[in-house]
Amino acid sequence: MKQPPQKKDGPPVASSIAASERIGVDRSVEKERKKDLPPPRKQFDDESRGGRAKRRSVLNQPEARNRVELFRHLPPHKNGTQLPSLESKFFELHEKHPAVYKVGLQYLAGDLSGGNARCIAMLQAFQEAIRDYSTPPEKTLTRDLTSKIGGFVSFLIECRPLSMSMGNAIRFLKSRIARLPLTLSESEAKTTLCSDIDRFINEKIVLADKVILRHAATKIRDGDVLLTYGSSCVVEMILLYAHELGKQFRVVVVDSHPMLEGQKLLRRLVVKGLSCTYTQLNAISYVMHKVTRVFLGASSIFSNGTVYSTVGTASVAMVAHAFRVPVLVCCEAYKFHERVQLDSICFNELGDPDAISKVPGRVDVNYLDNLTDKQKENLELLNLKYDATPSDYISVIVTDYGMIPPTSVPVIVREYRKEYLLI
Amino acid sequence: MPDTQALVNDFLNKLKKRKIEGSQATAKQTAELLRSVISQTRMPYTNQAAALIHSVKAVGERLIAANPVELAVGNVVRRVLHIVREEDLSLTTAAMAGLNLSAESDDEDDTDRDNHPALSAAAIAAASRSTLRPPSLQTLLEDVPDSAAVPHTSSSGGDSEGKSKSADKSSRSRKLKHDVIEAVNELIQDISTCHELIAEQAVEHIHQNEVILTLGSSRTVLEFLCAAKEKKRSFRVFVAEGAPRYQGHLLAKELVTRGLQTTLITDSAVFAMISRVNMVIVGAHAVMANGGVIAPVGLNMVALAAQKHAVPFVVLAGSHKLCPLYPHHPEVLLNELRSPSELLDFGEFSDCLDFGSGIGAPLLHVVNPTFDYVPPKLVSLFITDTGGHNPSYMYRLIADYYSADDLVLERRTTSGN
Repeated sequence: MKQPPQKKDGPPVASSIAASERIGVDRSVEKERKKDLPPPRKQFDDESRGGRAKRRSVLNQPEARNRVELFRHLPPHKNGTQLPSLESKFFELHEKHPAVYKVGLQYLAGDLSGGNARCIAMLQAFQEAIRDYSTPPEKTLTRDLTSKIGGFVSFLIECRPLSMSMGNAIRFLKSRIARLPLTLSESEAKTTLCSDIDRFINEKIVLADKVILRHAATKIRDGDVLLTYGSSCVVEMILLYAHELGKQFRVVVVDSHPMLEGQKLLRRLVVKGLSCTYTQLNAISYVMHKVTRVFLGASSIFSNGTVYSTVGTASVAMVAHAFRVPVLVCCEAYKFHERVQLDSICFNELGDPDAISKVPGRVDVNYLDNLTDKQKENLELLNLKYDATPSDYISVIVTDYGMIPPTSVPVIVREYRKEYLLI
Repeated sequence: MPDTQALVNDFLNKLKKRKIEGSQATAKQTAELLRSVISQTRMPYTNQAAALIHSVKAVGERLIAANPVELAVGNVVRRVLHIVREEDLSLTTAAMAGLNLSAESDDEDDTDRDNHPALSAAAIAAASRSTLRPPSLQTLLEDVPDSAAVPHTSSSGGDSEGKSKSADKSSRSRKLKHDVIEAVNELIQDISTCHELIAEQAVEHIHQNEVILTLGSSRTVLEFLCAAKEKKRSFRVFVAEGAPRYQGHLLAKELVTRGLQTTLITDSAVFAMISRVNMVIVGAHAVMANGGVIAPVGLNMVALAAQKHAVPFVVLAGSHKLCPLYPHHPEVLLNELRSPSELLDFGEFSDCLDFGSGIGAPLLHVVNPTFDYVPPKLVSLFITDTGGHNPSYMYRLIADYYSADDLVLERRTTSGN
């Protein structure tokens, strides 16, 4: 029995998720592969294809005044003050579930950050929502549940644009829902889905991290000076694991304004007894003379080998390359994506522009207070969250499939993508 | 002298405590101080130049030792020494010319020879021979330790004519001092107006619809961009904030006040944005003899990104920033580390500072360098008050401003004295 292809079912989703919703049907593998080519993403400002997103957006757009021309194609940053309007408008149209709502709030406030953490929190919230779900009469489980999930995803996107890891997880979930045999009862279907989600989290994230730890620890020798940038959970795990194994090494934590994530990582490392040096991104040429290895995390890796990660990673990799220091990127394979990207401008995420003018802990940096209107007219503040590191700066990518060069990423995407869709 | 001593000590204090901001201010104050030192120097009858050089070197050594990282101090000291030597040279040449003239007129008037400056002809001729002759191995070996010492030995024979020569020698010494002080005034003037001369060249490099990137704040860059704006060139500026001092905020504020479209970005976004930038324009702290640049921290990263994207990297520097020394290990020897409190809050991290490793050393180090070294191969162009130059050309400018004898300022304590 063929299931009709479900393209863009339910409410139109404001961004890339709709474009990547290609539910597989019973056809030959080749045709499947051709269909799997991702259509171009819906851009935020594209009136013809997805411009409805702007009109349907429940949050008021912040004034266009301070938006950088170059980034008009990206949705502006949402901050916590817009929460009341979010609540009132959004839940008129969609059903509310407390777990998903909570996760959305955490994204909006910035409490939850990091690809793995966000993905796990989202999937667990979906598990709860699925458990509490009951099929309304006259509707099939698969269709209705898919549209509900689509609604939840729209809400999360309103809070904060999805990361690549979350996008891949949602694709997985929707494909699982679509493959549910129609003979299952509702409770059986729900249990199957919840256990699938558990298996996904366990295999693709938790176990994958353990495999990565083991691989990466072989690359750390006694006497090494390891450099890391920002705060990546995988890199932190690697450093602590290698320390437990008894290896003697020093860590250099490089940090940058405005996120200052490195300070949190620094505290966690020093508490465990690692010897650390802390510096900010500009001083990277100064410290790179003594560094032997650079470990970086990634939000996603694209099919042309470009690493999409926290803004500033590209600079670190470039300087390391100039000083001939090997750069190891540690990333689970579920974060790989078929997209290709050449620069950091075509696709990115905008952060809060006002975060730039203030420095936490430095009251003397208040030059941008009290600007006149004329000054404000000419000044734009740009706070990017991600950047794209070219593949030539990367020496090796450590994944749960082993240590691969950046050129092998499309191979993994192609050969192993089907594997997890079919588990 | 007591007056100058007080001035010198005061300036030394300011240098040691890093109270003076910026190489232009430092250079100007150094030049003014040396001017007072020169005007207070007591000039002997012979070797005026040597006396001046000695007193300037004495003060200069101490100034450089107070703040070795502020290269502008050493540059100005060496410029002044070069001025002294040059003025001495030109006076001697003039005296030589006078000598030739008097030699011709000697045939006419023998009786006037005693009163004529040509009486000191032997001394002058010997002195000028030493200053005017090109360096050869023999002269270099003879001139150890001080080339100004040679006139001393050659004029010892002329001491018998001391009294008659004293009048014209003192007038010569006054002339030397006067000339030197005039030249130092010109130097101070040059230092003050270097921004205008550099800004004049802005129109040659900025055309329409350009995007310019800069990092931190530099007055030279500000004047440069405003000069281009005056000439109605339309361009936008990306300013990277330049942690940990965040001077980029100041520059952005200044630029928007003058009506320029400015975007303030974080340092981490430089690599992301540089593909859309046409030119990177930055200021420098010092330019070394090989064309390398001592620049505010973060500029090496920007220069590497600019090279990768084939964006021209232009450095603006006044001529008082050109240092005749070659950099050896500049990241360490020509760098200063600032307070860690600019990066970490001591209160928040006080518990981390107590943890000890097995040998009791602290586990947490914080590194906060002030400067970065940019190698000459990453710089596309230097724009100075004398025009635009390639990094490979900078060593030639040194010959214009400095003498080879002044590169090492420490006085030798061996036999030469």
